[in-house]
Amino acid sequence: MSSIITEAFTHDHHACDHLLAAAEKSLTSGDWAVIGQASEALISTVNHHFDVEEQTLFPRLASIYRVASNPIEVMCSEHAQMRALLSDLGEAVAQRDRDTCQGVLETFHFLTQQHNSKEEIVLYPMADGALRDQATEIAGLVARES
Amino acid sequence: MLNTAGLSLDQAPPIRVPFAFFLAAPFFVFLAGALLLWQGEAALLTRWSPSALALTHLIALGFLTQVMLGALFQMLPVLIGARVPGAAWIAPLVQVFLILGTLALAVGLQWGGAVWLSLGGGALAVGLAVFMGAAGVALARGRGAPRTLQAMRLALFGLLMTLLLGVLLVAGLLGVPIGGLTAWVDLHLGWALLGWVGMLILGVGYQVVPMFHVTPAYPAWLARPAAWVILSGLLLATAATLMGWGGLAVWGFGSAVGVLAIFALVTLDQQRRRERPRIDVTLLHWWSAMLSVLLAAVVWLSDGRAELVGVLVLVGVGLGLPSGMLFKIMPFLSWFHLQHRQVAARRFDVRLPHMQAFIPERWARVQFGLHLSALLALTLAAVWPETVWLTPLGALMMMSAAALLSWLQLGCYRRHLQIGRRFLTSCAQ
Repeated sequence: MSSIITEAFTHDHHACDHLLAAAEKSLTSGDWAVIGQASEALISTVNHHFDVEEQTLFPRLASIYRVASNPIEVMCSEHAQMRALLSDLGEAVAQRDRDTCQGVLETFHFLTQQHNSKEEIVLYPMADGALRDQATEIAGLVARES
Repeated sequence: MLNTAGLSLDQAPPIRVPFAFFLAAPFFVFLAGALLLWQGEAALLTRWSPSALALTHLIALGFLTQVMLGALFQMLPVLIGARVPGAAWIAPLVQVFLILGTLALAVGLQWGGAVWLSLGGGALAVGLAVFMGAAGVALARGRGAPRTLQAMRLALFGLLMTLLLGVLLVAGLLGVPIGGLTAWVDLHLGWALLGWVGMLILGVGYQVVPMFHVTPAYPAWLARPAAWVILSGLLLATAATLMGWGGLAVWGFGSAVGVLAIFALVTLDQQRRRERPRIDVTLLHWWSAMLSVLLAAVVWLSDGRAELVGVLVLVGVGLGLPSGMLFKIMPFLSWFHLQHRQVAARRFDVRLPHMQAFIPERWARVQFGLHLSALLALTLAAVWPETVWLTPLGALMMMSAAALLSWLQLGCYRRHLQIGRRFLTSCAQ
């Protein structure tokens, strides 16, 4: 079975992991210009990933497999949880609050890991099965610079 | 074809299910510490003493297996995309049998008594069989990372073998004639520590080590054959024991021990290459547990004292690794369930603290320090059993570590309930 979607989106998850680790590393530098840049890179990449899923991948999958709509709902509600955390992160960076930044990143990291695992195990393989002829096009949407 | 049976990405089960297991577990370490304080000399003098047997089961079943079962009920949907069916009512049932069985077995091993031994063996057999049935259904439907899935399935088989051999040994203690009883005890121990615990550490480690600290994935040369080598080693040891060839059984155990030692080395190397810079208390626990595995393997391979191997495995790995995982899992679940309610209700007027506020990192580090002191004192006590003050010191440290763990867990749960109530009040307004 094709795994173009699974591979591309999993790869994008890992790209986000690296950006998160980089943001954590930047906190140790104490340079708020660097911290701001690193957080911004994380926030924009994660948001882009969510946008592709919510606007393209999930609706197309749901239109073919009705059974997918429940898991998709759960995934979207976790996206909302993560978006709330990312906005906390933006606030904490603006206020130069290092402890809160660290706390938000740790919480975000854990939430993301269990979320990603479920997407990689269940939803993406399902999408690969359902959206075979559109897989390359959809995968192209997350394969930006990474 | 897509297999969609049992497909659900909900965070099943409710938080009280895993928390009941997590909150009960330190109580057994406290009991084990008290027993060690009272009967310690005998326990570390020979692994065959009644108190050594009782202690081993208090830690292995009361703490280690208890935490592992709670975590599996919680984590299987995340790790393999399948939840344990009926977890919300099966889990408490399993837990009652596990607790009763462990207490009765410990009493029976310490003081003798056919009633306690049969009660303990019977309750454990029922509780674990129900768990294996339910988890077996989830694992049969599971998907995702093939190495993890395979190691988890084999771990469940390891638990089954441990249980069957345990029941056989209880029958032996009750007077059923069994030839070469000590060889069967070794086999029970081998399946328990290598087949159940070792295999589960493999399965969980493949997933959480790269996840927690952003490390590269485990190399295929290790992950592909590891679980199979352990399984073949244990099957070889079982066949050899059946035939009465003790020498061959040692080779079987040896190959499994070797694999776990290599796994420990690779894990330390993976964590050295991690991208997340912070050294959190979970990482500290992983380090001390993996070093304990390595040391235990060296002592076992060089035919050292079995009691020393026991301390390193039970205290170093059995108490340490689950504690390290609890410090991440419990704050996360507390936070997750609260934030999930907020997002679902779209009410953000109650400010939610982040994960670390549920268990303060500073106190978790103090707990790690107490655990490490207990491990050190008991390791030295097992090397020099004639130094009489080392064992009570280790026992006291172990009890303090358990008490602090329990205190931190209760604080985490209290915090969760408090914020939950505040949230309800704000919604009602």
